[in-house]
Amino acid sequence: MTASIATNQTILVVGGGISGMTAALEAAECGKQVILVEKTPVLGGRTARLYRYFPKMCHPTCGLEINLRRIKQNRNIRLMTMTEVVSATGSRGNYSVTLKVAPRFVNENCTACGKCAEAVSAEVANPWNYGLDKMKAAYLPHNMAHPQRYVIDPSIVGTPEGEKAKAACPVGAVDLEMKEETVTLQVGVLVWATGWRPYDAAKIQPYGYGRFKNVITSLEFERLADPHGPTGGKILRPSDGKEAKNVAFIQCAGSRDENHLRHCSRICCMASLKQTQYVREAFGDEGKSTVYYIDIRAIDRFEDFYQNVQKDATVSFVKSKVARIAENAENGNPILHGVNTEGYQRYAVEHDLVVLAVGMEPEITGVKLPDDVILDSSNFIEGSKDQGMFGAGAAASPLDVNRAVQSATAASLRAIQVIRKTASTEAV
Amino acid sequence: MTTANQAAIERYRNNFLKEVEANVEEGHMVKMCMQCGVCAGSCPLGPHWTHSPQKIFMMIRAGKRDEVLGSDSMFMCTSCYNCMVRCPRQLPITHIMHGLANYAHRLGLAPKGQPTRDFATLFWNNLSKKGRVNELMLTLQHYFRNGLVAGIKEAMAMQGIGLGMFKAKRINPMEIFGGHGVKDLKGFHAIIAKAKEIEDRKKGFTA
Amino acid sequence: MNAPATPKYAAYICSGCGIGDAMKVGQLENIAKREGKMTVVKSHPFLCNAEGVQLIKDDIANEQVTHVCIAACSRRAKTEAFQFDGVAMSRANLREGVLWVVAQGKEHDEVRQEMAADYVRMGCAEVKKMKQPAGNVKEASSKAILVVGGGMSGMTAALEIAETGYEVVLVEKSGALGGMAGNLWKRQPFKAPYAEAQDTGVADMAARVSSHAQIKVHLNSTLAETSGAPGRFTVKIAQESGAVTDVTVGAIVQATGFTPYDMAKLPDLGGGQANVVDQVGLEALAKAAKGGEIKRADGKPVKSVVFVQCAGQRDPSGQHLSYCSGHCCGTSVKQAMYFKDQNPDIDTVVMYQDLRLPGMGEDFYRSAQQKGVIFTKGKASKVSGGDSCNVTFKDLILDEENTIPADLVVLATGQVPNAGVDLEKWNPVVTAAEGGDEAAKAQRDEMRATQSVLKLTYRQGPDMPQFKHGFADSHFICFPYETRRTGIYAAGPVRRPMDMLQAIDDATGAALKAIQAVENASVGRAAHPRSGDLSFPTARLEGCTQCKRCTVECPFGAIDEDEKRFPKFNEERCRRCGTCMGACPVRVISFENYSVDTVGSQVKAVEIPEEDEEKPRILVLACENDAYPALDMAGLARMNYSAWVRVIPVRCLGSVNTIWITDALNSGYDGVMMMGCKKGDEYQCHFVKGSELAHYRMSKIGDTLKQMGLEPERVVTQEVAITDNARVVKLINDYVAELDKLGPSPMKGFG
Repeated sequence: MTASIATNQTILVVGGGISGMTAALEAAECGKQVILVEKTPVLGGRTARLYRYFPKMCHPTCGLEINLRRIKQNRNIRLMTMTEVVSATGSRGNYSVTLKVAPRFVNENCTACGKCAEAVSAEVANPWNYGLDKMKAAYLPHNMAHPQRYVIDPSIVGTPEGEKAKAACPVGAVDLEMKEETVTLQVGVLVWATGWRPYDAAKIQPYGYGRFKNVITSLEFERLADPHGPTGGKILRPSDGKEAKNVAFIQCAGSRDENHLRHCSRICCMASLKQTQYVREAFGDEGKSTVYYIDIRAIDRFEDFYQNVQKDATVSFVKSKVARIAENAENGNPILHGVNTEGYQRYAVEHDLVVLAVGMEPEITGVKLPDDVILDSSNFIEGSKDQGMFGAGAAASPLDVNRAVQSATAASLRAIQVIRKTASTEAV
Repeated sequence: MTTANQAAIERYRNNFLKEVEANVEEGHMVKMCMQCGVCAGSCPLGPHWTHSPQKIFMMIRAGKRDEVLGSDSMFMCTSCYNCMVRCPRQLPITHIMHGLANYAHRLGLAPKGQPTRDFATLFWNNLSKKGRVNELMLTLQHYFRNGLVAGIKEAMAMQGIGLGMFKAKRINPMEIFGGHGVKDLKGFHAIIAKAKEIEDRKKGFTA
Repeated sequence: MNAPATPKYAAYICSGCGIGDAMKVGQLENIAKREGKMTVVKSHPFLCNAEGVQLIKDDIANEQVTHVCIAACSRRAKTEAFQFDGVAMSRANLREGVLWVVAQGKEHDEVRQEMAADYVRMGCAEVKKMKQPAGNVKEASSKAILVVGGGMSGMTAALEIAETGYEVVLVEKSGALGGMAGNLWKRQPFKAPYAEAQDTGVADMAARVSSHAQIKVHLNSTLAETSGAPGRFTVKIAQESGAVTDVTVGAIVQATGFTPYDMAKLPDLGGGQANVVDQVGLEALAKAAKGGEIKRADGKPVKSVVFVQCAGQRDPSGQHLSYCSGHCCGTSVKQAMYFKDQNPDIDTVVMYQDLRLPGMGEDFYRSAQQKGVIFTKGKASKVSGGDSCNVTFKDLILDEENTIPADLVVLATGQVPNAGVDLEKWNPVVTAAEGGDEAAKAQRDEMRATQSVLKLTYRQGPDMPQFKHGFADSHFICFPYETRRTGIYAAGPVRRPMDMLQAIDDATGAALKAIQAVENASVGRAAHPRSGDLSFPTARLEGCTQCKRCTVECPFGAIDEDEKRFPKFNEERCRRCGTCMGACPVRVISFENYSVDTVGSQVKAVEIPEEDEEKPRILVLACENDAYPALDMAGLARMNYSAWVRVIPVRCLGSVNTIWITDALNSGYDGVMMMGCKKGDEYQCHFVKGSELAHYRMSKIGDTLKQMGLEPERVVTQEVAITDNARVVKLINDYVAELDKLGPSPMKGFG
């Protein structure tokens, strides 16, 4: 790829999740040229891996479908997947951005017919299900993958398995010679919509994530509840595959904690409230959810949802930060120890499964960003010194989807303003 | 009511939090608690005390001076530091608990007959007398704290261990006669007295 | 666009992805030629690759092909490859719709081929009825934007729009800019370290707005009337003095903010008593103190203050606000700091049930604690005002009733949106008024005059529809700006309870959407969700019976009635869902590329086997947003469903005209299944009401069926989500089994 596809009238959006897609689309639908880069092979980001959204209990893929349709038909957007920003130099209105494009080993001829996956027997951990299951090493990341093109995992390139994939492709789309490429672009403005990642739950030592099989994260729970997930939507616990009917939700797993994340991640209360309804959906009155919390942060109209969940007899609330989790060696049940601070009551309760409502850590934590970018104490992007780069969505602040879209739309306008100013200065 | 106590009440009017901040080790951190309760659940002595640390902190903020300073909870702390490492606000809970115990003790408000507190007193008195612990006397005083009969019973129950220690020369029966002290006993007492004077002055207990 | 005068039809059949192995492509070509009447028919082993696409492009360029039917994969796949400017195109779904869902093996060859043949027939039939919309460019379209409200949201929207190069007209009903933000002493921090209250910046901002060359500010003014549509709104701005100014704008941002919940409704919490104030009241005291000692109304200095959170909020009883206003915890924290910063010895207690300071608000909370603000988890039951106030509460941590004395009590009451007339209340009044009820007429005029903000002359009422609790929103998660009035965007606390930081973001986003709206309107392009769509509805008014269904049912209020009571389509307000088309009993409404005919001809194109062949035919009308993708994904997962079905994607179930169903049944289909999105309060329909209307219409179809001598089970409507790929398969297969029991349609052979 050559650098000529972009100019200082181009907006570069980094990240292809809901915020990045929104920022890119809103600018493109205003007639601006946008390059949208995404690190993984597909668009959709974190939200595409959620089963349902709060508070409507609707499916993220529904909005994804609309956004993908908008992207597919909009010629102002150029999409680059498997691409990461290596560096950005320059200043407002005139950045030089170096991108690293990882090889997909499948070219645009791919029709997603699936013959390569049929031919290959090697399996790799499935990142779309947070590694809860495995997938073929030649794969279409998920049902709504866009681009709708297969990916060959690098682990089978140079092996007979890779050759099998290549031989199976009826349209010559498998290209095992693909190499990592470096591309440099000139752009006028950058929107960082790099999103978030779940805080590493293993660092919260007393909760035993990684040691106890039946302690999982809220994101993994999304995959368990999703019919397109590893269990076909059955809430089965990892240790023995038994139905997990009695589920504990631990709030602030990493968040609001100076030992981990000092901020409140905003979404986790609502996410757990939503997930209690997955338990209800799966088991009806047989299900049992217990939410252990410090403060339930069901802000604005989300309060309606909270009040409805409070009316659900299968859900109970304990105002307590759980102190530690032990495991019943006989049945693998996690045992929660702590104190209900409302009035003071000690508990040691067994559950079938524990779901840690893990906090949001900016995905760019630990990544070298341009010096100009201003971060807050939790590594969320506040902006840049010369106001030529913007954070959008969860890269800028821990936000739910609605607010992330709001933030991304706002960032999109700010980017357009930079482009406009650049153009008017050049015209002079 | 002791004079020190009276003085403290007058000085801080109704504001017990300020009193704690001024007089208790790390007391200024009490206000940072957000009532999550992880300390309460983390304490191995949890089932044995009346108030959890988080509750003590709330009581301080609510001005419950008598209940807090009369609580047995801070005397139960074994300094395991579980609460402290887990506290999401990084409150030095262990230190605060010790500080509170110390303050209650100084004001003479600490609960009477609280066993860990009694033992600590015994230990200190024993130690400060000669600059080193007279283990035999400490043991005996401890056993006989509740009177002769109870003391004999307790001593009999422990006699196997006692004899073993005696044989292994871990306890010297001659110490019943006072035992030996540090070399410069007078100097030692002077050091202790000076330390007490400094601390009293710091904490506003100057006579 | 210079479309050639004579249409020329072409069909391209792809034999790739295994289509050619499982189906007889030659036969499909013959069908396209003979039955589909396509002038050019070609097949290609790999139609979506560069060579295949070039083949089509060459035909368009050299053979003057104007209409293209692509018989290959789903219309959702290879979209970028099959994109031809100025050409009408249909897609026959042979891959996801046939190859991948019909059971493999020789024994299914016949039904597979029949299914594929029908889809080719349907694709050809459809494309012949289509016209490629050229769009309706309007030279005179206005690109100015009206901002209603001069508070933080309104000023932000105005500045952001102006800074992007568009003219702004800002209308503020009071005599000064600033709104609620102007009443504040300070605001919460927006940036790290999130520790101190900040200057509001309102004065600077107001000065920038007032002096901006591209912003025209109307103070002491309200809207007297708003008519028109995006690109051509005519707005009468009425000044207090009575003078009226007419302006023309292209889009509107409604940033009319909120009013604090009335304390007087909270007598138990001391509302109305001396020395009990709400948060706005406290701001006034702090402003008066100018950073010095904060004094009560009676002039006494405040030495102790209690903030009661959630006063009249989060109330499940229905008496007060049921929602949380989101900003009040942060606001109380900030206000407690006013006292602590001035004098650390002042006792400040924030009494909360759940402290809600999300994100970096945690740092602001910490900072207040650092300053010595006491936070007590408790629920206040009684506040007595007067010279010495008392707050009686249940301490939820210490589990006891308690009372705190205070010089001043601050009630954190909630935000009540200034959203105008509630259309749910408006509609019955208007119906009664139209029926001649004089009292209703007076009430209608009163509502319009005193309650309405926008004073729209729309058929469907003077303001934006409200969603819940009176907020002007439409409950989208992925698309928060999609109100039900195209080109009018709510921003700030009128849309959802929010704090200032969010209102600024929200107003900036709304500014972008307004800019997009004026740009779309100028070229006749649809707004979300069919963004970019250049088609628009037209009506053959000579056939119209003035039944008003289209004007009433349009979810976006796009259709007014003219003086003769004919529907008047405001194309710029239209979102192209086709609900009007579905509503029309005389079928006079159509889009260039989507009409009663484009679908009707597909329905009729399917070959209906004779009864003795025992091959039922079932028509599936699937919403293109969710149901159709779900069917595609069933194919992607190689799930099998019955080869008896013929699926037609529709823009929305709301666009389904009953004629398609009766036509299908008349021509011998055994059943019709409609698949749409979830309806009701938690609707997932992208056109708000489409799915609901379809369900309603179908509930009325029983009589028609009876007249035809058909069982009611011949028509079913299902709510389907996009993730339901396994479920759509089951729904189809179960329905096939059910119809099997019912036996073949008695209409066969009469069609």
